[in-house]
Amino acid sequence: MKVILETKPRKKPRIPIEAETIIPQNFLRGTDITVFEGNKERVLDDLFYISVEGPAVSPDQVEIILRGDTGMIKRVGEYMNAGRIVVEGDIGMHCGNFMSAGEIVIQGNADSWLGREMRGGKITCLGNAGHYCAAGYRGEKRGVRGGRIEVMGNAGDFTAEYLSGGEVRIHGNAGDLAGVELREGTLVIEGSCSRPCGNMTGGTCMVFGKINDLLPTFKSLGIKEVDFEGKKVRMEIFRGDVANRGKGTLMRAV
Amino acid sequence: MSELLIRNACVIDPLNGINGEIMDISIRDGRIVEEVSGNAQVIDAAGCLTLPGGVDSHTHVCGTKVNFGRYMSPEDMRAGRTARNGCMHVTSGYSVPTTFGNSYRYSNMGYTTLLEGAMAPLEARHTHEEFTATPHQDMMANTLFDGNWAIMEAVRDKDVRRTAAVVAWYLKAARGFAIKLTNPGGTEAWGWGEDVSGIHDTVPNFEVTPAEIIGTMIRANEVLRLPHSVHLHCNNLGVPGNYQTTLDTIGLVPDLNKTRQSLYLTHVQFHSYGGTTWRDIDSKSEEICKAVNNTPQVTIDMGQIMFGRTTTMTADGPMEFKLYMLHRNKWSNHDVELETGSGIIPVYYFRKSMVNCVMWAIGLELALLTKNPWQCLLSTDNPNGAPFVKYPEIIALLMSKKLRDQECALLEPRTEHHVPLFAIDRELDWNEIAIMTRSAQAKALGIRDIGKGHLAPGAEADVAIYPLKTSEIDPSTQYQQVIAGFSRTKFTIKRGRVVSRNGEVIVDGANSTIWVKPKVPEEYNLSNDPDFVRKFQEYYTVRMSNYPVQDVYLPRGVCIETEADL
Amino acid sequence: MRIEDVICPFCGCLCDDLVVEVQGTTVVSVENGCTLAHEKFTGDNRLQAPIKRDGRTWHPVSYDEAIETTAQILLEADRPLLYGWSGTNGEAQSIGVHLAELLGAVIDNTSTVCHGPSIMAIQEVGHPGCTLGQVKNRADVIVYWGANPIEAHPRHMSRYTTYADGFFVKGAFLERKVIVADVRETETSNIADEFMHIEPGGDYAVLSALRAIVRGKADIIPSYVSGVAREQLVRVAEMCMNAKFGAIFFGLGLTMSRGKYKNIRNAVELTEELNRFTKFTISPMRGHWNVYGSNEVFTWISGYPFAVDFARGIAFYNPGETTSIDILRRGECDACLVVASDPGAHFPKQCCRHLAEIPTILIDPHVNVTTHLSHLQIPVAVTGIDSEGTAYRMDGVPIRTRMLYKSRYPSDREILEKIYQIVLKEKGP
Repeated sequence: MKVILETKPRKKPRIPIEAETIIPQNFLRGTDITVFEGNKERVLDDLFYISVEGPAVSPDQVEIILRGDTGMIKRVGEYMNAGRIVVEGDIGMHCGNFMSAGEIVIQGNADSWLGREMRGGKITCLGNAGHYCAAGYRGEKRGVRGGRIEVMGNAGDFTAEYLSGGEVRIHGNAGDLAGVELREGTLVIEGSCSRPCGNMTGGTCMVFGKINDLLPTFKSLGIKEVDFEGKKVRMEIFRGDVANRGKGTLMRAV
Repeated sequence: MSELLIRNACVIDPLNGINGEIMDISIRDGRIVEEVSGNAQVIDAAGCLTLPGGVDSHTHVCGTKVNFGRYMSPEDMRAGRTARNGCMHVTSGYSVPTTFGNSYRYSNMGYTTLLEGAMAPLEARHTHEEFTATPHQDMMANTLFDGNWAIMEAVRDKDVRRTAAVVAWYLKAARGFAIKLTNPGGTEAWGWGEDVSGIHDTVPNFEVTPAEIIGTMIRANEVLRLPHSVHLHCNNLGVPGNYQTTLDTIGLVPDLNKTRQSLYLTHVQFHSYGGTTWRDIDSKSEEICKAVNNTPQVTIDMGQIMFGRTTTMTADGPMEFKLYMLHRNKWSNHDVELETGSGIIPVYYFRKSMVNCVMWAIGLELALLTKNPWQCLLSTDNPNGAPFVKYPEIIALLMSKKLRDQECALLEPRTEHHVPLFAIDRELDWNEIAIMTRSAQAKALGIRDIGKGHLAPGAEADVAIYPLKTSEIDPSTQYQQVIAGFSRTKFTIKRGRVVSRNGEVIVDGANSTIWVKPKVPEEYNLSNDPDFVRKFQEYYTVRMSNYPVQDVYLPRGVCIETEADL
Repeated sequence: MRIEDVICPFCGCLCDDLVVEVQGTTVVSVENGCTLAHEKFTGDNRLQAPIKRDGRTWHPVSYDEAIETTAQILLEADRPLLYGWSGTNGEAQSIGVHLAELLGAVIDNTSTVCHGPSIMAIQEVGHPGCTLGQVKNRADVIVYWGANPIEAHPRHMSRYTTYADGFFVKGAFLERKVIVADVRETETSNIADEFMHIEPGGDYAVLSALRAIVRGKADIIPSYVSGVAREQLVRVAEMCMNAKFGAIFFGLGLTMSRGKYKNIRNAVELTEELNRFTKFTISPMRGHWNVYGSNEVFTWISGYPFAVDFARGIAFYNPGETTSIDILRRGECDACLVVASDPGAHFPKQCCRHLAEIPTILIDPHVNVTTHLSHLQIPVAVTGIDSEGTAYRMDGVPIRTRMLYKSRYPSDREILEKIYQIVLKEKGP
């Protein structure tokens, strides 16, 4: 089944739409779904031109295409557990929150909190991601616990904060304090970032670009050759953050 | 005039010796009466279990530390949220719900009266503000004196009368209900990052011991003729081997009051540990219960823990820091000048942890090994052992050996060798549960005379009707029904008005705050005492005239005035 | 009339020992207060009556009309924002939160532009704090970090720290050591025993280095960290570890500089580390006199201290998303009620522009910058001068402010209650 949702023009286009109901499994029972525009509940039909092609008996057979002015739509794919969502443009905050399986592809940019506390599945963002990409919920000790988030462009500050499992890959640059509070899992930044991995207690972060303002509490263990995706790369290895337990690994390409 | 008639109620009212009689209850203008007119609104209880409204004699629901528990825990707030609905306000939180969340959830369980376990007098105004936002229960506040400088000076001078005068001044200023001692002396030591480790240790700089503080306060309490006894959180909470401290403390207690205990020991589960480390910790509930059974002048509450996540919060600052060193999650601490301390950390009790399993067993053992149910009250030290919404599960565990056996099978396997629980067959009956959840609590708090905890004519019309037919349910096997029944009343009636029905709160509440004002002769009024006034103005950061809680904070205050024997 | 023990409704110190002379409805003198207090009590640029904008001109309107208009604007909005609250009492704040839950609005207080990051840090690692009297009576080491109390909280040092004699510290000025950490010299740094002059944006690194030193890892610290020599860091760490009772106070220099809440988190974790050796506490230097009260009231009703979004009925909290600045910057809200604060003076230009574009209503005694962005302003009595109510000091101590004379203005509590009643009637129970 292919569900195409194309946004209709809105009187107040900057009011965010909260659409945690837009996940593949909900469309098995039709398109009688509501979302919120500000504090008003709307039926999907009020806000989208809807077209449905083909049948599906399980959520993994459902693909949702979001089209049009989608940059203010929040929480798409939240708690998603199967199927596929393709966003043809930009997507609002909290896309793929807590998702456990399935796939989300964003062809434009993603706003903040992409894949917050994700458990599994795969998110690919072809543009840039905002702040707190692959981060945790306020006050929670563990952030992303599984799955894979890949951003082809840049990511904002606090990328992969509290990462506790899974894999985060930023092809461009990351902002300030990438991998802060990192606990487990792997963060790979192909571009540059500043002050990575503050207070990390475990896990691994690899930076292939430049590290600005490396924190003073990382201890260099020297240069080693490391296997990375089948290639050998030369990296300077640091243990840190010794302001905390100092059990994490930060690597910098040399 | 408003009248209400409850028909066909299966009443258990232990304070009046009623055990399972089918009868009618007449209510007029918020009180139980002999009979009502034919115009009364009628509720058909249809033979369901009908009890006096529940009384929780030790819970943390309002005030500085509770609110800080919410403030620092967005992850807990997220765990229990409801939208505004009818007259119900928004609620958030699981282990530390918002005030309305606490109030509605307690109300749905049939609770109508709560004692906030710890209020620092300096921050009393905050507690009272939250009381007015907890609309469905009448509220009281234990007032903290454990590290009070004026108290310790009077105790050092062995001056019971002055001690009483200090208590009287603070209770009135704080609009408090009773004397609370939390790790007496320990909270002052914690001002320097230290603690006391037994009742005969000396408190730094004050030359008093916890034993002297406890002993003098018990006497001062009776001098003031306060409704409740001293309410004690013993020293050494949560330390392996601490049962000895608890036994020593019980050994101190004189029998000074005919109508109730002379000392209330709270959350005794946390104070009943044998062994020397977390590895060899074991249950000393048998020793503790033996002492309780032999010392009728003490009453205890369980402080049961239940597995899962919760938040611990107590005035016992040093204990919370020790706990933080074990859990390493997050830690808040808030010491209060000249008075007390407090700490908060989130915890998770695991079945995989032998220590947690021993703790779980001890709470139940205390209830099952204390012979007289009037001496051991049901509590979790909410939310320290578990959020109060777990009470129905605890009731079921106490009523069913079968359920206990099932749960025991899931415990960490070594537990069996560290606790006596596995060999205890006792199952409590409905009457004993009624005693432990309201009647004994009302008696222990000394609020029976203002109409709490019973249903005789003249009593406050606080009534809980549960969807449980005691004649048709065998609690030892049908424990699921017991849990469901105690989780949600058919009707909760507060002061003659149905406030909650089948789990839905249907009116805006209007609670009362009960406080105690001991009347002391003018020469014992410390507002006129130059030494007290001078120290107050020099060492507090709030002026004496701005300190007392104004009447406006108790819009429906109920003052119990006592005549001090000074 | 001479009134003693008056509470000052200016900063988070909430000094309660002022002596105020009142003649009729004018404060003629203030004793014991700082210059800021003096200005607050004697200054007078009160708006006389409610005013409504009509194109480029203002018209006076009645209170009833102003209240009705406000209620209707809020009822019609799809994403109303209720902002401010730190300049009024807890009773008014409480009505505000209930109004927000009824409307499905976002409610936020001025923490959003001051100590919001401190709250976010506390939500990660907690807060080892104490009341100010603990510091006064016990502390022998005081640390001011990114704070300049001599100018922002003028009596903080004389009432609670450097110059305040206490029970265990009889000669405070001689017995207490003061450490200052800042990016520039200030009046406060001039009186410090030890001044760590940190390069802008370097606080996080310095705090990390101090934590590592306290953990016994001084050997890996480079010779300079963000402009601070390792020797000085080691010296400061030792002063702290050898203190009998230490107290850190931090200000906006730490909350609003690079890294924001992670700076505070780092400072809290340093404090926790120090507690393994001695007694140490940490406290934010809260700005507005009752901003902490707004955090408390919001929390006991909604579960969250600021930035609470009720759009979905339940309370939702996510700074960066539900904070006023972010909502205004993204142009989300379609109506705004400002109570007892002046966002026009503190918010970025883009946010102010949006406030001017939507119906913005201001409930505040004074003409301020926000007046010029508003559609309607309703003047009210000033809590602590001609109205009373509860305030929470920066350390959480609740104090009841006083009414010094009977006001000719309604209180904001009365105005809000009336708005609430109209909205309640419309929305049903």
